[in-house]
Amino acid sequence: MQPPEVEYIRDQIANHVAEFTTLESGDLFDSGLIRFLPYDEAATIQERAIAVPFDIPIPKSQEEPYKVRFNDTDLTLWNRITPPSDNSWRAIPDGSAPLWYTNRFGSLIPAWNLFGNLFYLLTFGEEKESSQKDLHGRFAASFSPRAKYGLLEIPAFNEAVAALVGACAGLRDSGQPAFNIDGLIGPPVISLSHDCDILRGNDIWTQAVRLVRIFRPLVKMRLPGISNSWWIMRNAVAPRAFYFDNATGMIDLERCFGYRSTFYMLNGRSGRFGARSGLAVIPELLKEIPPEWDIGVHYNYDTFLNDERFSAQMEQLQEVTDSDIVVGRAHYLRFDPEKSFSFLQKHGISIDESSGYSDMIGYRNGIAGCFQVYDTVLKRPLEIWELPMTIMDTTLVRQYGPESITRFSQLLYHLSRVGGALSVSFHPGQFFNPEHKQMLGVYHRMLIECRQTGALAKTARSHVDSIA
Amino acid sequence: MEIRLIADGEEELCNKFHNRLYNDNRTMHQWRWEFVFNNYDRRPIPYAVVVDNGEIVGTQAFIPIRMIDEDGCYWTAKSEETLVDPDYRGKRLFERMYRLLFNYANEHELAHIWGFTPATRAFERLGFSIPAQTEQIFVPFSNKSIPVMMSKSLHGGKKNLADKLKIAAIRSGCLLAQTASSLKIAYTKRRTIDGLDIRTWHRPDEQTDHLCRRFIRQWGGTTIYRDAEYLQWRLFDNPYVKSVVRALYYRDELLGWVAFTMGDDGMGYLVDLMTAVDDSGYGAEDLIRLLLLEAVIGTRNMGATGIRGWRINNHPFDRLICSVAKGIGFYHIKRGHAVVLYPCQAGAKRGVTGGFDDWFVSRVYTEGVLG
Repeated sequence: MQPPEVEYIRDQIANHVAEFTTLESGDLFDSGLIRFLPYDEAATIQERAIAVPFDIPIPKSQEEPYKVRFNDTDLTLWNRITPPSDNSWRAIPDGSAPLWYTNRFGSLIPAWNLFGNLFYLLTFGEEKESSQKDLHGRFAASFSPRAKYGLLEIPAFNEAVAALVGACAGLRDSGQPAFNIDGLIGPPVISLSHDCDILRGNDIWTQAVRLVRIFRPLVKMRLPGISNSWWIMRNAVAPRAFYFDNATGMIDLERCFGYRSTFYMLNGRSGRFGARSGLAVIPELLKEIPPEWDIGVHYNYDTFLNDERFSAQMEQLQEVTDSDIVVGRAHYLRFDPEKSFSFLQKHGISIDESSGYSDMIGYRNGIAGCFQVYDTVLKRPLEIWELPMTIMDTTLVRQYGPESITRFSQLLYHLSRVGGALSVSFHPGQFFNPEHKQMLGVYHRMLIECRQTGALAKTARSHVDSIA
Repeated sequence: MEIRLIADGEEELCNKFHNRLYNDNRTMHQWRWEFVFNNYDRRPIPYAVVVDNGEIVGTQAFIPIRMIDEDGCYWTAKSEETLVDPDYRGKRLFERMYRLLFNYANEHELAHIWGFTPATRAFERLGFSIPAQTEQIFVPFSNKSIPVMMSKSLHGGKKNLADKLKIAAIRSGCLLAQTASSLKIAYTKRRTIDGLDIRTWHRPDEQTDHLCRRFIRQWGGTTIYRDAEYLQWRLFDNPYVKSVVRALYYRDELLGWVAFTMGDDGMGYLVDLMTAVDDSGYGAEDLIRLLLLEAVIGTRNMGATGIRGWRINNHPFDRLICSVAKGIGFYHIKRGHAVVLYPCQAGAKRGVTGGFDDWFVSRVYTEGVLG
């Protein structure tokens, strides 16, 4: 009997292999090639197998990473482990940047803390150990120890699985771990979603913000932002322009690429951080969303861990749609890694997309793809899945400016080499809106890159359905 | 050098040759969609190659396309993949590949060979005629559409005063044109028709076959036979860019459709428009107006910089589309590529060579990259 943590990681790897590689998960585990062992036992292994130590602690401070060339991309590894003390183990490909340690029996031990890193990231280890929060009570990307070393955009889980796949295939075929796994990795997957925060541009909050923007420059003795008066007038006359209309435009654009997405509806209490457009417009948009697209709930700001308000929002949304709402994402990404999942599960949510950063793009859980959430107190997985959001529209553009599409393309290319799903959130109001000029055409160019990379589109719900 | 039809296993070589010469990255899936997976199920596929020392140095292909006229359906071929390695030019390889394909066309009873090209001279030498030029109907949504229409960038490079004045004039003209179009579109939006149902297709309706036949009865001439299988291949399975198709129904009877898409250049494309009026009592003009409006609003909401479609000849339906389009804010721009047309033996026998004005042509004839 293996510890529950090992069973959990093993299951997540198996799901990932089934979804993103051409192997059956059984190819990895049923053959007995991969074994999760305490480090001391792994060090004494004397047969052709991969021994993954599961009892190496994560160091208190982030260690400097290193890179290993693999399958025409770089794997970025950290928390390197020392090879067993007897001299029979050597590093592959070399001692300065090893991926594996191997002995004369063909046994392999990962050269970095594979198990520890993955378990730590999937169970939100970084943020559970931190007390830092931003104004909205969120764990920002800049608080992560990985930020310092530029590791937030590294899908550590995917890279580890790709290395395992290469090792299994290599051991089976040639007795050596493979570093080229062409043909074993499926096409990259793109998971598109849209938070419908604002569907009509004439609500009091949006118009008030524009009004403030007219006069705010005066405080700094600058010319007033007169252009905002044009946006005020424009949406006063045509409230749906560049909001509701954009949502329908996004659906059509996705059709042109053969893609589909999830629309997260924000309803419930109104307010600056609340549902600005009200409920009435939601049924109208729901009519425009084809059945192949998914609909989810955008948990309102004030429903954060509040049973009564959350239930009220769900009931209200459920009244205007026939489909079961089981997918959701938190407005402002307000989310507590220790309490939110059981809370959401209690309210009927089985797939969540809230685990992302608002200040930077990045893999908050080190994974590009979905995983079952693990309760570290009860020591068992919960009946809820997380598809961490990697990229949010404005965050990408704010962070990378004119290089946004290049960076997006690099992330996608990397996933085409190691397998995985990139989750992208794009707000209708940012899709095609002359008020936000820097965002014009960004979504279209992202979809072009997806097509060029041969990416397939899957919604959060279809990820989980395919695993289940 | 060997000139013959493509052999098994040469597909990838041909695609690499194309990508090398055009500096393109067309995928094998795209190649197969175009030349193998179309709805022409006869083999071998009409794809001629020139092979020298195991290397592909020239290609010329047909995409067989079924058309319909009053006598029924018949096969034609779109000329595609005309490419000769620059080191091998001047050896009449194009003519020699075409000789092979002319034989193929006669053996397989292809009635016409047609295509669109800026390089007409080589085709004329083979006996092709140039019956028309493609022209454009166009609505600008922003001044970013102008460089796309002019096929040149307004940015970059050193500009003298004359260039700057020219750009300023273009931008001002575009703004005026855009404003005029917007007003016309807004006015037309209010003139919608009750009783008609507009649906977006997820797959083609089986009634398209019937509508094509009605179209020929009503408008005469000939056009691509757009049955559900063809439309599925051309619009929905297209690996370059798929189309959004909105269709008009009167009590579940299909009255027409419009297909539109957005190109990688940010321009909206009016890919196809067909209507045939039966017992519904609606006028063709009204239906065309509704469908054009769907395409305009649809592409505008997709973030397109403008929308363009083709205006080709004097086919009555083409003329009507152009006239309705102008009424709702489109501009007619006489700028495009030459049409090349070659009548084969089967075409002469059918007696369908009554002139290119008999052909109803839309951008659906581009078969791919251009939407």
